[in-house]
Amino acid sequence: MTEPAIAVRGLTKTFPVPFRRVSVMAVRDLNLTVEPGEVYGLLGPNGSGKSTTLKIILGLVSPTRGTTEIMGRNSRRVQSRASVGFLPENPYFYKYLTGAETLRFFGKLCGLGGRTLHERIDQMLALVGLEEARHRRLSTYSKGMLQRIGLAQAIIHDPRVVILDEPTAGVDPAGSRDICDLILQLKKRGITVLLSSHLLAQAQEICDRVGILSAGALVREGRLADLIAIENRTEVVLENASEKLLQEIASVAARSNARLIECRRSTTTLERLFLEATGEENTAPASTAISKKDQKKA
Amino acid sequence: MSSSISLSLRRIRALTGITLTDLTRQRVFYFALIFALLLIASSVLMARFSFQQEFQILKDVSLGAMSIVTSLLAVVATARLLPQDVEDRTVYTILAKPVPRFEYLLGRLLGILLLLAISTLIMSALFVAVLCSREQTVLHETAQQMASLPRDQVEPALAAVRHSALNIDLVPAVATIYFKATLLAALTLFVSTFATTNLFTIVVMVFVYFIGHLQALARAYLLQEQGGGWTAQIFLAIVALLFPDLQAFNLVDDAVAGTVIPLALFGKTALLGLFYTTVYTLLGTVVFYGKEL
Repeated sequence: MTEPAIAVRGLTKTFPVPFRRVSVMAVRDLNLTVEPGEVYGLLGPNGSGKSTTLKIILGLVSPTRGTTEIMGRNSRRVQSRASVGFLPENPYFYKYLTGAETLRFFGKLCGLGGRTLHERIDQMLALVGLEEARHRRLSTYSKGMLQRIGLAQAIIHDPRVVILDEPTAGVDPAGSRDICDLILQLKKRGITVLLSSHLLAQAQEICDRVGILSAGALVREGRLADLIAIENRTEVVLENASEKLLQEIASVAARSNARLIECRRSTTTLERLFLEATGEENTAPASTAISKKDQKKA
Repeated sequence: MSSSISLSLRRIRALTGITLTDLTRQRVFYFALIFALLLIASSVLMARFSFQQEFQILKDVSLGAMSIVTSLLAVVATARLLPQDVEDRTVYTILAKPVPRFEYLLGRLLGILLLLAISTLIMSALFVAVLCSREQTVLHETAQQMASLPRDQVEPALAAVRHSALNIDLVPAVATIYFKATLLAALTLFVSTFATTNLFTIVVMVFVYFIGHLQALARAYLLQEQGGGWTAQIFLAIVALLFPDLQAFNLVDDAVAGTVIPLALFGKTALLGLFYTTVYTLLGTVVFYGKEL
């Protein structure tokens, strides 16, 4: 059995309220594991305990109860951070530094130096598409560029786990798309990603598994495909289907005690439309979607 | 948070470098222009005095200004470091790397100390340049005035001018100004580990600065009035730890008066500065380790 990339066991965190004899429970008896190589989404509304959980995993905040581990190491120990990269929500790096200087600084903090660091900086700038802006100060970067340089610093030391707190918050659709693509690239490289988000559509696109936090407690968890699947419904997507074919499918379904609920033209997403209109991506092929209810699997 | 990871000079150097770059690119060295203007103005205004008075006032004004500027720089530049990093979340990004909190604080403090050293050197260079320039002018004027006198009468007069101007006793005076600034920087960093804003830190440090300069007087008064009882001594020890005796770092008056500063006194002052700086850095580390970020 492989060791989980991140393990959280019985985690509880309470914050005392100053000058009052009460405390606020930010995280309540949380248990979760993130397997190596998967993209795990920690979802929940504002104030549900997502950021606190991530900070505890990173050792920035002490838990009231429970333990957290990264690659089998207690995450309160500094050594555990050698294998993890982190991008905080809305990061502001030192704005007087250039993109390359920022990566050099964070690389040195991870123990890199000399030619290795130089090469890593070049690779990271190429990966996040900021080669042209390497000598520009961060004060001139857009929000999306800052997120990308943030992602580059998070993986400068080639970590096995990357933790991203609201990675697309405040970024325009094109920038958001870039970040999602980068996360998918990390997944392809076998890097484990734990991200928090309240942008559900994006989480749905990139996460293998999700956990939903509400008032500090994990209320749902599992594989995304399982969680959002409707038990007794099946979707069929056809291309170039004639009206006659659609009628035949409807009658076949009726004969099998299934009910055709909806037959409509497939639509693109608003994000894709936006990217297409602003010249960011090519047109997606048109298709027709048919939703069927009560259809027994062949 | 546990930190059983060995100290890394590379990481500390990176943090020191970033602190120095930060402050340099924010043009903190512009204060040197103000210092230069002050020096030039005072040297022009004092040309009417006798050369002994002129050099004494020039040293007094310059070393006094240097002390105020370095102390101010130590407090203001340090006070914003930690709150700014927390507000910008930069501290999360740094501490999410394998960086123990002690290294973070030490790197930041060393950056400030390097900045203070450079500032002190720049101001000292300006001070020496103005002093040497005035010395040459006075030597030239004296030689001209005594041109008709025999050489054995001229030489002592010129030697008196040289002695009144630049001498080696200025070095310990400048060094103690730097020690005081390092102590203030370490204390400011300690205060900023539990302060929520840099304004709070600066206000606390203003109080510390004044109490620190007055505590020697208060100690002498209390010991005289209370007869040096143990309660008074414990109270004074606590006050001495919380509010360092900044007057002990004032060797400027001796240097300006031309009094030779004994090596033992200079060594004691240097050790006192090192002791306070170390204690405040360790206290800051303890508080910072328990801080929820």
